[in-house]
Amino acid sequence: MCGESTALMQSIEGLVGEPRAKYIRSVERGLWGQPTVLNNVETLANVPYIIANGSEPFAAIGTDTSKGTKVFSLVGKVKRSGLVEVPMGTTLRSLVYDIGGGIADKRPFKAVQTGGPSGGCLPESLLDLSVDFESLLEHDSMVGSGGMIVMDDRSCMVEVAHYYVDFLCGESCGKCTPCREGLRHMREILANICKGHGKLSDLQDLEDLAFTLQEASLCALGKTAANPVLSTLRYFRDEYEAHINDKYCPAGICQALSVMQIEQEDCTSCGLCYKACPIGALKQTVTEDTDGPTYHIDAETCTVCGSCREACRFDAVVAKRREKTCA
Amino acid sequence: MRIIIDGVSCESAPGEFVKTVADRNNISIPSLCHHSALPGLAACRLCVVEVTPSGGKTQVVTSCVYPASDGLEVSTKSERILRLRKTILKLLISRAPKAEGRLKEYCEQYGVVDSFKPADFDESCILCGLCVKACDELGNSAIATVMRGIQKQVQTAFDEAPHECIGCASCAKVCPTGKIIWSQDDGSRTIWNKCFELVRCSCCGKPFATSEELTWLTNKSIDQNIDLSLCPTCRARKTAKAAISPVR
Repeated sequence: MCGESTALMQSIEGLVGEPRAKYIRSVERGLWGQPTVLNNVETLANVPYIIANGSEPFAAIGTDTSKGTKVFSLVGKVKRSGLVEVPMGTTLRSLVYDIGGGIADKRPFKAVQTGGPSGGCLPESLLDLSVDFESLLEHDSMVGSGGMIVMDDRSCMVEVAHYYVDFLCGESCGKCTPCREGLRHMREILANICKGHGKLSDLQDLEDLAFTLQEASLCALGKTAANPVLSTLRYFRDEYEAHINDKYCPAGICQALSVMQIEQEDCTSCGLCYKACPIGALKQTVTEDTDGPTYHIDAETCTVCGSCREACRFDAVVAKRREKTCA
Repeated sequence: MRIIIDGVSCESAPGEFVKTVADRNNISIPSLCHHSALPGLAACRLCVVEVTPSGGKTQVVTSCVYPASDGLEVSTKSERILRLRKTILKLLISRAPKAEGRLKEYCEQYGVVDSFKPADFDESCILCGLCVKACDELGNSAIATVMRGIQKQVQTAFDEAPHECIGCASCAKVCPTGKIIWSQDDGSRTIWNKCFELVRCSCCGKPFATSEELTWLTNKSIDQNIDLSLCPTCRARKTAKAAISPVR
Protein backbone atom coordinates (compact mmCIF):
# COMPACT_ATOMS: atom_id res chain seq x y z
CA MET A 1 0.00 0.00 0.00
CA CYS A 2 2.75 2.45 0.91
CA GLY A 3 3.94 2.69 -2.69
CA GLU A 4 1.14 5.24 -2.99
CA SER A 5 2.83 8.63 -2.55
CA THR A 6 0.59 10.14 0.15
CA ALA A 7 0.47 6.85 2.09
CA LEU A 8 4.27 6.74 1.89
CA MET A 9 4.43 10.25 3.34
CA GLN A 10 2.03 9.26 6.14
CA SER A 11 4.32 6.31 6.90
CA ILE A 12 7.41 8.51 6.99
CA GLU A 13 5.56 10.82 9.40
CA GLY A 14 5.01 7.83 11.69
CA LEU A 15 1.27 7.63 11.01
CA VAL A 16 -0.83 4.73 9.73
CA GLY A 17 0.02 4.13 6.05
CA GLU A 18 -3.19 5.41 4.52
CA PRO A 19 -3.45 7.78 1.56
CA ARG A 20 -4.92 11.25 1.83
CA ALA A 21 -6.84 13.23 -0.76
CA LYS A 22 -4.54 14.75 -3.36
CA TYR A 23 -6.49 17.88 -4.26
CA ILE A 24 -3.60 19.84 -2.81
CA ARG A 25 -0.48 18.59 -4.60
CA SER A 26 2.49 17.41 -2.56
CA VAL A 27 4.73 19.98 -4.29
CA GLU A 28 2.60 22.54 -2.42
CA ARG A 29 1.98 20.67 0.81
CA GLY A 30 3.47 17.22 1.29
CA LEU A 31 5.66 15.65 3.93
CA TRP A 32 5.11 17.36 7.32
CA GLY A 33 3.04 19.96 5.47
CA GLN A 34 6.05 21.13 3.47
CA PRO A 35 6.51 21.28 -0.33
CA THR A 36 7.78 17.83 -1.30
CA VAL A 37 9.18 16.25 -4.44
CA LEU A 38 8.49 12.55 -4.50
CA ASN A 39 9.44 10.51 -7.56
CA ASN A 40 9.63 6.91 -8.53
CA VAL A 41 13.14 5.44 -8.68
CA GLU A 42 12.71 4.67 -12.38
CA THR A 43 11.88 8.34 -13.09
CA LEU A 44 15.06 9.41 -11.32
CA ALA A 45 17.05 6.75 -13.22
CA ASN A 46 16.15 8.58 -16.44
CA VAL A 47 17.62 11.86 -15.20
CA PRO A 48 21.37 11.09 -15.64
CA TYR A 49 20.83 10.30 -19.34
CA ILE A 50 19.03 13.61 -19.84
CA ILE A 51 21.73 15.54 -17.99
CA ALA A 52 24.50 13.82 -19.95
CA ASN A 53 22.90 13.96 -23.40
CA GLY A 54 20.36 16.75 -23.20
CA SER A 55 16.59 16.57 -23.37
CA GLU A 56 16.31 16.37 -27.16
CA PRO A 57 17.92 12.94 -27.67
CA PHE A 58 15.73 11.62 -24.83
CA ALA A 59 12.55 13.15 -26.25
CA ALA A 60 13.41 11.76 -29.69
CA ILE A 61 12.83 8.25 -28.30
CA GLY A 62 9.24 7.09 -27.89
CA THR A 63 5.90 8.49 -29.07
CA ASP A 64 4.58 12.07 -29.22
CA THR A 65 3.09 11.88 -25.75
CA SER A 66 5.13 9.12 -24.09
CA LYS A 67 8.81 9.92 -24.31
CA GLY A 68 11.89 7.88 -23.58
CA THR A 69 12.25 4.22 -22.76
CA LYS A 70 10.55 1.92 -20.30
CA VAL A 71 11.76 -1.16 -18.47
CA PHE A 72 9.33 -4.08 -18.52
CA SER A 73 9.48 -7.29 -16.60
CA LEU A 74 8.62 -9.72 -19.39
CA VAL A 75 7.57 -12.98 -17.79
CA GLY A 76 5.06 -15.80 -18.09
CA LYS A 77 4.76 -18.22 -20.99
CA VAL A 78 7.46 -16.70 -23.20
CA LYS A 79 10.61 -18.48 -24.32
CA ARG A 80 12.93 -15.74 -23.02
CA SER A 81 11.86 -13.92 -19.90
CA GLY A 82 13.57 -11.12 -17.99
CA LEU A 83 13.86 -7.37 -17.63
CA VAL A 84 13.79 -5.58 -20.97
CA GLU A 85 14.16 -1.91 -21.79
CA VAL A 86 12.33 -0.75 -24.91
CA PRO A 87 11.42 2.61 -26.45
CA MET A 88 7.90 3.76 -25.60
CA GLY A 89 5.61 2.91 -28.51
CA THR A 90 7.03 -0.57 -29.12
CA THR A 91 4.21 -2.96 -30.01
CA LEU A 92 3.10 -5.78 -27.74
CA ARG A 93 3.81 -8.19 -30.61
CA SER A 94 7.41 -7.05 -30.81
CA LEU A 95 7.81 -7.48 -27.04
CA VAL A 96 6.26 -10.93 -26.93
CA TYR A 97 7.60 -12.41 -30.20
CA ASP A 98 10.81 -10.53 -31.13
CA ILE A 99 12.18 -10.00 -27.65
CA GLY A 100 10.45 -12.77 -25.73
CA GLY A 101 10.91 -15.28 -28.56
CA GLY A 102 7.21 -16.17 -28.70
CA ILE A 103 5.13 -18.49 -26.59
CA ALA A 104 6.88 -21.36 -24.86
CA ASP A 105 6.03 -25.00 -25.63
CA LYS A 106 4.41 -24.05 -28.98
CA ARG A 107 1.18 -23.09 -27.25
CA PRO A 108 -1.07 -20.41 -28.74
CA PHE A 109 -0.98 -16.87 -27.30
CA LYS A 110 -4.01 -15.92 -25.23
CA ALA A 111 -3.41 -12.67 -23.35
CA VAL A 112 -0.78 -10.35 -21.98
CA GLN A 113 -1.30 -8.69 -18.63
CA THR A 114 0.44 -5.33 -18.45
CA GLY A 115 1.09 -2.92 -15.61
CA GLY A 116 1.37 -5.12 -12.54
CA PRO A 117 -1.48 -6.55 -10.44
CA SER A 118 -3.86 -3.69 -11.20
CA GLY A 119 -3.23 -3.71 -14.92
CA GLY A 120 -5.46 -5.27 -17.54
CA CYS A 121 -5.33 -8.37 -19.74
CA LEU A 122 -5.07 -7.62 -23.46
CA PRO A 123 -6.12 -10.18 -26.10
CA GLU A 124 -4.45 -11.33 -29.32
CA SER A 125 -6.38 -8.79 -31.40
CA LEU A 126 -4.50 -6.01 -29.60
CA LEU A 127 -1.01 -7.42 -30.13
CA ASP A 128 -0.20 -4.57 -32.51
CA LEU A 129 -1.08 -2.00 -29.85
CA SER A 130 1.65 0.52 -29.18
CA VAL A 131 2.87 0.27 -25.59
CA ASP A 132 2.57 3.81 -24.25
CA PHE A 133 0.68 5.52 -21.43
CA GLU A 134 -2.32 6.62 -23.51
CA SER A 135 -2.94 3.49 -25.63
CA LEU A 136 -2.85 1.14 -22.66
CA LEU A 137 -5.20 3.36 -20.60
CA GLU A 138 -7.68 3.43 -23.49
CA HIS A 139 -7.85 -0.35 -23.40
CA ASP A 140 -8.52 -0.79 -19.65
CA SER A 141 -4.89 -1.44 -18.84
CA MET A 142 -1.87 0.66 -17.94
CA VAL A 143 1.92 0.96 -18.07
CA GLY A 144 1.87 0.94 -14.26
CA SER A 145 4.81 -0.79 -12.66
CA GLY A 146 5.98 -2.28 -15.97
CA GLY A 147 4.87 -5.85 -15.43
CA MET A 148 4.18 -7.85 -18.56
CA ILE A 149 2.85 -11.35 -17.98
CA VAL A 150 2.27 -13.44 -21.07
CA MET A 151 -0.41 -16.13 -20.90
CA ASP A 152 -1.15 -19.07 -23.19
CA ASP A 153 -4.40 -20.93 -23.82
CA ARG A 154 -4.05 -22.74 -20.49
CA SER A 155 -4.88 -19.62 -18.50
CA CYS A 156 -8.47 -19.11 -17.36
CA MET A 157 -9.22 -15.39 -17.54
CA VAL A 158 -11.87 -15.55 -14.79
CA GLU A 159 -9.37 -17.26 -12.52
CA VAL A 160 -6.73 -14.68 -13.49
CA ALA A 161 -9.12 -11.84 -12.57
CA HIS A 162 -9.88 -13.59 -9.27
CA TYR A 163 -6.16 -14.04 -8.57
CA TYR A 164 -5.40 -10.34 -8.99
CA VAL A 165 -8.46 -9.14 -7.11
CA ASP A 166 -7.54 -11.48 -4.25
CA PHE A 167 -4.01 -10.04 -4.25
CA LEU A 168 -5.36 -6.47 -4.24
CA CYS A 169 -7.72 -7.30 -1.36
CA GLY A 170 -4.62 -7.96 0.71
CA GLU A 171 -2.98 -4.75 -0.48
CA SER A 172 -5.94 -2.45 0.17
CA CYS A 173 -5.37 -0.27 3.25
CA GLY A 174 -9.09 -0.33 4.05
CA LYS A 175 -9.56 3.40 4.48
CA CYS A 176 -12.14 4.06 1.77
CA THR A 177 -15.38 2.15 1.22
CA PRO A 178 -15.18 1.30 -2.52
CA CYS A 179 -11.73 -0.30 -2.29
CA ARG A 180 -12.18 -2.10 1.04
CA GLU A 181 -15.72 -3.39 0.53
CA GLY A 182 -15.86 -3.37 -3.28
CA LEU A 183 -12.81 -5.61 -3.72
CA ARG A 184 -14.15 -8.03 -1.14
CA HIS A 185 -17.42 -8.47 -3.01
CA MET A 186 -15.66 -8.67 -6.38
CA ARG A 187 -13.48 -11.46 -5.00
CA GLU A 188 -16.55 -13.25 -3.67
CA ILE A 189 -18.41 -13.00 -7.00
CA LEU A 190 -15.37 -14.13 -9.03
CA ALA A 191 -14.74 -17.08 -6.70
CA ASN A 192 -18.36 -18.12 -7.09
CA ILE A 193 -18.13 -17.98 -10.88
CA CYS A 194 -14.98 -20.14 -10.77
CA LYS A 195 -16.85 -22.68 -8.65
CA GLY A 196 -19.71 -22.79 -11.13
CA HIS A 197 -22.15 -20.95 -8.88
CA GLY A 198 -22.22 -17.76 -10.95
CA LYS A 199 -25.30 -16.00 -12.30
CA LEU A 200 -25.51 -13.73 -15.33
CA SER A 201 -26.57 -10.89 -13.03
CA ASP A 202 -23.14 -11.21 -11.36
CA LEU A 203 -21.59 -9.63 -14.46
CA GLN A 204 -23.74 -6.52 -13.94
CA ASP A 205 -22.72 -6.42 -10.27
CA LEU A 206 -19.06 -6.71 -11.28
CA GLU A 207 -19.47 -3.81 -13.70
CA ASP A 208 -21.21 -1.66 -11.06
CA LEU A 209 -18.49 -2.40 -8.52
CA ALA A 210 -15.73 -1.75 -11.06
CA PHE A 211 -17.29 1.60 -11.99
CA THR A 212 -17.51 2.60 -8.33
CA LEU A 213 -13.92 1.58 -7.65
CA GLN A 214 -12.65 3.55 -10.64
CA GLU A 215 -14.62 6.69 -9.95
CA ALA A 216 -14.93 6.89 -6.19
CA SER A 217 -11.83 5.32 -4.65
CA LEU A 218 -9.49 7.53 -2.68
CA CYS A 219 -6.17 6.59 -4.25
CA ALA A 220 -4.66 5.04 -7.36
CA LEU A 221 -4.69 1.52 -5.89
CA GLY A 222 -8.49 1.49 -5.70
CA LYS A 223 -8.97 3.45 -8.92
CA THR A 224 -6.97 0.92 -10.92
CA ALA A 225 -7.94 -2.22 -8.98
CA ALA A 226 -10.91 -2.79 -11.28
CA ASN A 227 -8.70 -3.14 -14.39
CA PRO A 228 -8.20 -6.92 -14.19
CA VAL A 229 -11.97 -7.37 -14.02
CA LEU A 230 -12.92 -4.70 -16.57
CA SER A 231 -10.40 -5.86 -19.16
CA THR A 232 -11.28 -9.54 -18.86
CA LEU A 233 -15.00 -8.69 -19.01
CA ARG A 234 -14.34 -6.60 -22.10
CA TYR A 235 -12.12 -9.02 -24.04
CA PHE A 236 -12.94 -12.44 -22.59
CA ARG A 237 -16.63 -12.16 -21.76
CA ASP A 238 -17.28 -15.50 -23.49
CA GLU A 239 -15.19 -17.22 -20.81
CA TYR A 240 -17.28 -15.70 -18.03
CA GLU A 241 -20.42 -16.81 -19.86
CA ALA A 242 -19.06 -20.33 -20.35
CA HIS A 243 -18.43 -20.57 -16.59
CA ILE A 244 -21.89 -19.25 -15.78
CA ASN A 245 -24.13 -20.77 -18.47
CA ASP A 246 -22.35 -24.00 -19.34
CA LYS A 247 -20.50 -24.61 -16.03
CA TYR A 248 -17.44 -25.07 -18.19
CA CYS A 249 -13.92 -23.68 -17.83
CA PRO A 250 -12.52 -23.56 -21.40
CA ALA A 251 -8.91 -23.45 -20.16
CA GLY A 252 -9.40 -26.39 -17.81
CA ILE A 253 -8.11 -24.52 -14.79
CA CYS A 254 -11.07 -24.09 -12.47
CA GLN A 255 -11.06 -27.15 -10.25
CA ALA A 256 -14.79 -27.37 -9.64
CA LEU A 257 -15.61 -27.32 -13.36
CA SER A 258 -12.80 -29.35 -14.91
CA VAL A 259 -11.39 -32.81 -14.90
CA MET A 260 -8.18 -34.10 -16.49
CA GLN A 261 -8.33 -37.07 -18.86
CA ILE A 262 -5.82 -39.08 -20.86
CA GLU A 263 -6.65 -39.58 -24.53
CA GLN A 264 -5.49 -43.18 -24.92
CA GLU A 265 -4.91 -42.95 -28.71
CA ASP A 266 -2.41 -40.08 -28.22
CA CYS A 267 -0.71 -41.63 -25.19
CA THR A 268 2.70 -43.24 -25.74
CA SER A 269 2.85 -44.73 -22.22
CA CYS A 270 6.00 -42.70 -21.50
CA GLY A 271 4.91 -42.22 -17.88
CA LEU A 272 5.91 -38.55 -17.53
CA CYS A 273 2.42 -37.64 -16.30
CA TYR A 274 2.58 -40.42 -13.74
CA LYS A 275 5.86 -39.02 -12.37
CA ALA A 276 4.59 -35.44 -12.42
CA CYS A 277 1.40 -35.99 -10.42
CA PRO A 278 2.05 -34.68 -6.89
CA ILE A 279 -0.88 -36.46 -5.22
CA GLY A 280 -1.02 -39.89 -6.80
CA ALA A 281 -4.16 -39.29 -8.84
CA LEU A 282 -2.58 -41.02 -11.85
CA LYS A 283 -3.15 -44.74 -11.90
CA GLN A 284 -0.93 -47.15 -13.79
CA THR A 285 -2.28 -50.40 -15.16
CA VAL A 286 0.03 -53.07 -16.56
CA THR A 287 -1.62 -55.64 -18.78
CA GLU A 288 -0.27 -58.47 -20.94
CA ASP A 289 -1.87 -57.36 -24.21
CA THR A 290 -0.51 -53.77 -24.42
CA ASP A 291 3.05 -52.66 -25.18
CA GLY A 292 3.48 -50.48 -22.14
CA PRO A 293 1.43 -49.67 -19.07
CA THR A 294 -1.78 -47.67 -19.52
CA TYR A 295 -2.53 -44.60 -17.44
CA HIS A 296 -5.72 -43.01 -16.28
CA ILE A 297 -6.56 -40.19 -13.91
CA ASP A 298 -8.77 -40.71 -10.90
CA ALA A 299 -11.14 -37.74 -11.10
CA GLU A 300 -12.02 -37.92 -7.41
CA THR A 301 -8.40 -37.55 -6.28
CA CYS A 302 -7.33 -35.12 -9.04
CA THR A 303 -7.07 -31.45 -7.98
CA VAL A 304 -6.71 -30.23 -11.59
CA CYS A 305 -3.29 -28.76 -10.78
CA GLY A 306 -2.28 -29.30 -14.39
CA SER A 307 1.12 -30.90 -13.65
CA CYS A 308 0.36 -33.93 -15.84
CA ARG A 309 -0.83 -31.73 -18.71
CA GLU A 310 2.33 -29.62 -18.43
CA ALA A 311 4.50 -32.75 -18.39
CA CYS A 312 2.92 -34.47 -21.40
CA ARG A 313 4.89 -34.04 -24.64
CA PHE A 314 2.13 -35.50 -26.84
CA ASP A 315 -0.91 -33.42 -25.79
CA ALA A 316 -2.51 -36.63 -24.58
CA VAL A 317 -3.66 -35.07 -21.29
CA VAL A 318 -6.70 -32.90 -21.89
CA ALA A 319 -9.06 -30.97 -19.64
CA LYS A 320 -12.71 -31.89 -19.88
CA ARG A 321 -15.85 -30.53 -18.30
CA ARG A 322 -16.51 -32.00 -14.88
CA GLU A 323 -19.97 -33.40 -15.25
CA LYS A 324 -21.10 -32.97 -11.67
CA THR A 325 -19.96 -29.68 -10.15
CA CYS A 326 -18.50 -29.84 -6.70
CA ALA A 327 -20.36 -28.18 -3.89
CA MET B 1 -15.56 34.48 -4.69
CA ARG B 2 -18.55 32.47 -5.94
CA ILE B 3 -19.09 28.85 -6.89
CA ILE B 4 -22.16 27.33 -8.57
CA ILE B 5 -23.72 24.31 -6.85
CA ASP B 6 -26.56 22.64 -8.80
CA GLY B 7 -27.14 25.90 -10.64
CA VAL B 8 -27.24 27.99 -7.45
CA SER B 9 -24.56 30.66 -7.11
CA CYS B 10 -23.01 30.48 -3.61
CA GLU B 11 -20.58 32.78 -1.83
CA SER B 12 -17.38 31.01 -0.79
CA ALA B 13 -14.02 31.84 0.73
CA PRO B 14 -10.96 30.66 -1.25
CA GLY B 15 -9.92 27.18 -0.15
CA GLU B 16 -13.17 26.51 1.69
CA PHE B 17 -14.35 22.95 1.13
CA VAL B 18 -17.24 22.41 -1.28
CA LYS B 19 -19.31 20.49 1.29
CA THR B 20 -18.99 23.32 3.82
CA VAL B 21 -20.30 25.80 1.25
CA ALA B 22 -23.12 23.44 0.25
CA ASP B 23 -24.14 22.84 3.89
CA ARG B 24 -24.28 26.59 4.52
CA ASN B 25 -26.58 27.01 1.53
CA ASN B 26 -28.87 24.16 2.59
CA ILE B 27 -27.82 21.96 -0.33
CA SER B 28 -27.61 18.53 1.24
CA ILE B 29 -24.71 16.23 0.36
CA PRO B 30 -24.79 12.89 2.21
CA SER B 31 -21.77 11.89 4.27
CA LEU B 32 -20.99 9.44 7.04
CA CYS B 33 -17.40 10.38 7.86
CA HIS B 34 -17.86 14.12 8.14
CA HIS B 35 -18.15 16.13 11.35
CA SER B 36 -18.04 19.90 11.31
CA ALA B 37 -15.61 19.96 14.25
CA LEU B 38 -13.11 17.59 12.64
CA PRO B 39 -10.91 17.75 9.53
CA GLY B 40 -12.25 15.93 6.46
CA LEU B 41 -11.40 12.24 6.18
CA ALA B 42 -12.67 11.44 2.67
CA ALA B 43 -13.09 7.82 3.76
CA CYS B 44 -16.77 6.95 3.25
CA ARG B 45 -16.84 8.48 -0.28
CA LEU B 46 -20.56 9.15 -0.01
CA CYS B 47 -20.09 12.91 -0.47
CA VAL B 48 -18.84 12.49 -4.06
CA VAL B 49 -19.85 15.28 -6.44
CA GLU B 50 -18.92 16.21 -9.99
CA VAL B 51 -16.87 19.39 -10.26
CA THR B 52 -15.80 21.46 -13.25
CA PRO B 53 -13.23 24.15 -12.43
CA SER B 54 -13.44 27.14 -14.79
CA GLY B 55 -11.57 26.06 -17.91
CA GLY B 56 -10.91 22.59 -16.49
CA LYS B 57 -12.13 19.03 -16.93
CA THR B 58 -15.14 17.56 -15.13
CA GLN B 59 -14.16 15.03 -12.47
CA VAL B 60 -15.62 13.15 -9.55
CA VAL B 61 -14.27 14.38 -6.19
CA THR B 62 -15.16 14.10 -2.51
CA SER B 63 -16.74 17.39 -1.52
CA CYS B 64 -15.62 17.19 2.13
CA VAL B 65 -11.98 17.83 1.19
CA TYR B 66 -12.20 19.46 -2.25
CA PRO B 67 -11.28 23.17 -2.04
CA ALA B 68 -13.53 25.67 -3.79
CA SER B 69 -12.08 27.89 -6.51
CA ASP B 70 -13.67 30.87 -8.23
CA GLY B 71 -16.27 29.90 -10.81
CA LEU B 72 -16.22 26.19 -9.84
CA GLU B 73 -19.31 24.37 -11.04
CA VAL B 74 -20.56 21.57 -8.80
CA SER B 75 -23.19 18.98 -9.57
CA THR B 76 -24.37 17.01 -6.55
CA LYS B 77 -27.17 14.97 -8.12
CA SER B 78 -26.03 13.88 -11.59
CA GLU B 79 -26.85 10.39 -12.81
CA ARG B 80 -23.21 9.36 -12.43
CA ILE B 81 -23.12 10.57 -8.81
CA LEU B 82 -26.39 8.87 -7.90
CA ARG B 83 -25.14 5.58 -9.36
CA LEU B 84 -21.94 5.85 -7.31
CA ARG B 85 -23.75 6.75 -4.08
CA LYS B 86 -26.16 3.83 -4.50
CA THR B 87 -23.34 1.33 -4.92
CA ILE B 88 -21.43 2.80 -1.96
CA LEU B 89 -24.56 2.61 0.24
CA LYS B 90 -25.13 -0.97 -0.93
CA LEU B 91 -21.53 -1.80 0.06
CA LEU B 92 -21.93 -0.18 3.47
CA ILE B 93 -25.27 -1.80 4.27
CA SER B 94 -23.84 -5.19 3.22
CA ARG B 95 -21.06 -4.67 5.75
CA ALA B 96 -23.24 -3.31 8.50
CA PRO B 97 -26.80 -4.59 8.14
CA LYS B 98 -27.48 -3.75 11.78
CA ALA B 99 -26.44 -0.11 11.50
CA GLU B 100 -28.96 2.40 12.70
CA GLY B 101 -29.18 6.13 12.17
CA ARG B 102 -27.97 8.03 9.12
CA LEU B 103 -26.86 5.01 7.06
CA LYS B 104 -30.34 3.54 7.21
CA GLU B 105 -31.92 6.91 6.39
CA TYR B 106 -29.68 7.37 3.35
CA CYS B 107 -30.48 3.86 2.12
CA GLU B 108 -34.18 4.69 2.26
CA GLN B 109 -33.60 8.06 0.61
CA TYR B 110 -31.60 6.53 -2.27
CA GLY B 111 -33.83 3.49 -2.63
CA VAL B 112 -31.16 0.95 -1.71
CA VAL B 113 -33.06 -2.13 -0.64
CA ASP B 114 -30.86 -5.13 -1.37
CA SER B 115 -27.30 -5.83 -0.37
CA PHE B 116 -24.45 -7.81 -1.87
CA LYS B 117 -24.62 -11.45 -0.88
CA PRO B 118 -23.50 -13.15 1.20
CA ALA B 119 -23.22 -10.62 3.99
CA ASP B 120 -20.53 -12.38 5.98
CA PHE B 121 -20.03 -9.31 8.13
CA ASP B 122 -22.65 -8.70 10.70
CA GLU B 123 -21.71 -5.64 12.58
CA SER B 124 -22.42 -1.96 12.71
CA CYS B 125 -18.98 -0.34 12.31
CA ILE B 126 -18.56 1.12 8.82
CA LEU B 127 -14.94 2.21 9.48
CA CYS B 128 -15.67 5.88 8.81
CA GLY B 129 -12.76 6.75 11.10
CA LEU B 130 -14.55 9.56 12.96
CA CYS B 131 -14.00 8.03 16.41
CA VAL B 132 -10.26 7.65 15.83
CA LYS B 133 -10.04 11.18 14.43
CA ALA B 134 -11.97 12.69 17.36
CA CYS B 135 -9.71 10.93 19.89
CA ASP B 136 -6.59 12.02 17.97
CA GLU B 137 -7.74 15.63 17.73
CA LEU B 138 -8.34 15.71 21.48
CA GLY B 139 -4.77 14.56 21.87
CA ASN B 140 -5.46 11.25 23.56
CA SER B 141 -5.12 8.69 20.75
CA ALA B 142 -6.57 5.92 22.88
CA ILE B 143 -8.03 4.13 19.86
CA ALA B 144 -6.72 3.47 16.36
CA THR B 145 -7.47 1.38 13.33
CA VAL B 146 -5.51 -1.86 13.34
CA MET B 147 -4.82 -4.29 10.46
CA ARG B 148 -5.62 -3.33 6.90
CA GLY B 149 -8.08 -3.94 4.11
CA ILE B 150 -11.09 -5.98 5.06
CA GLN B 151 -9.48 -7.03 8.35
CA LYS B 152 -9.31 -3.42 9.45
CA GLN B 153 -11.01 -2.55 12.71
CA VAL B 154 -11.07 0.12 15.39
CA GLN B 155 -9.34 -1.07 18.54
CA THR B 156 -7.49 -0.01 21.62
CA ALA B 157 -3.83 -1.02 21.93
CA PHE B 158 -3.64 -4.83 22.24
CA ASP B 159 -7.42 -4.79 22.70
CA GLU B 160 -6.95 -3.87 26.37
CA ALA B 161 -8.47 -1.09 28.45
CA PRO B 162 -6.48 1.93 27.22
CA HIS B 163 -4.66 3.98 29.83
CA GLU B 164 -4.77 7.03 27.50
CA CYS B 165 -8.58 7.03 27.53
CA ILE B 166 -10.11 9.80 29.65
CA GLY B 167 -13.63 8.43 29.35
CA CYS B 168 -14.97 11.50 27.53
CA ALA B 169 -16.99 9.30 25.13
CA SER B 170 -16.35 11.71 22.24
CA CYS B 171 -15.76 8.64 20.07
CA ALA B 172 -19.23 7.34 20.83
CA LYS B 173 -20.82 10.75 20.28
CA VAL B 174 -19.42 11.18 16.75
CA CYS B 175 -20.13 7.57 15.69
CA PRO B 176 -22.76 7.65 12.91
CA THR B 177 -23.95 4.07 13.45
CA GLY B 178 -24.05 3.72 17.23
CA LYS B 179 -21.34 1.06 17.25
CA ILE B 180 -19.36 2.31 20.25
CA ILE B 181 -21.17 1.15 23.34
CA TRP B 182 -20.79 2.95 26.64
CA SER B 183 -22.78 2.77 29.80
CA GLN B 184 -23.24 5.05 32.73
CA ASP B 185 -24.91 4.50 36.07
CA ASP B 186 -25.14 6.74 39.09
CA GLY B 187 -21.46 6.80 39.96
CA SER B 188 -19.46 5.31 37.09
CA ARG B 189 -19.04 5.23 33.32
CA THR B 190 -17.74 2.28 31.31
CA ILE B 191 -16.27 2.60 27.83
CA TRP B 192 -13.62 0.54 25.95
CA ASN B 193 -13.65 -1.96 28.87
CA LYS B 194 -12.44 0.76 31.21
CA CYS B 195 -14.45 1.86 34.23
CA PHE B 196 -14.33 5.50 35.35
CA GLU B 197 -15.49 6.98 38.67
CA LEU B 198 -17.71 9.97 38.02
CA VAL B 199 -17.19 13.31 39.78
CA ARG B 200 -20.28 14.88 41.33
CA CYS B 201 -21.29 18.49 40.75
CA SER B 202 -20.45 20.60 43.81
CA CYS B 203 -23.80 22.37 43.48
CA CYS B 204 -26.51 19.88 42.44
CA GLY B 205 -24.66 16.68 43.35
CA LYS B 206 -25.29 15.01 40.00
CA PRO B 207 -22.39 12.93 38.54
CA PHE B 208 -21.27 14.69 35.35
CA ALA B 209 -17.69 13.91 34.29
CA THR B 210 -14.79 11.58 34.90
CA SER B 211 -11.93 12.95 36.98
CA GLU B 212 -9.60 12.17 34.02
CA GLU B 213 -11.72 14.45 31.83
CA LEU B 214 -11.45 17.26 34.37
CA THR B 215 -7.67 16.81 34.68
CA TRP B 216 -7.45 16.91 30.88
CA LEU B 217 -9.46 20.15 30.82
CA THR B 218 -7.31 21.68 33.57
CA ASN B 219 -4.13 20.81 31.66
CA LYS B 220 -5.57 22.32 28.50
CA SER B 221 -6.18 25.53 30.53
CA ILE B 222 -8.63 26.80 27.93
CA ASP B 223 -10.26 29.29 30.29
CA GLN B 224 -9.10 29.62 33.89
CA ASN B 225 -12.44 31.15 34.89
CA ILE B 226 -14.39 27.97 34.18
CA ASP B 227 -15.44 26.36 37.44
CA LEU B 228 -14.76 22.69 36.79
CA SER B 229 -16.43 21.57 39.97
CA LEU B 230 -19.82 22.41 38.48
CA CYS B 231 -21.77 20.37 35.96
CA PRO B 232 -22.56 22.08 32.62
CA THR B 233 -26.11 22.92 33.73
CA CYS B 234 -25.04 24.50 37.02
CA ARG B 235 -22.16 26.24 35.28
CA ALA B 236 -24.54 27.77 32.76
CA ARG B 237 -26.87 28.83 35.56
CA LYS B 238 -23.98 30.46 37.43
CA THR B 239 -22.81 32.30 34.31
CA ALA B 240 -26.34 33.46 33.57
CA LYS B 241 -26.78 34.69 37.14
CA ALA B 242 -23.51 36.61 36.97
CA ALA B 243 -24.56 38.12 33.67
CA ILE B 244 -27.92 39.39 34.88
CA SER B 245 -27.00 40.40 38.47
CA PRO B 246 -25.44 43.80 37.60
CA VAL B 247 -28.68 44.74 35.84
CA ARG B 248 -30.64 44.08 39.01
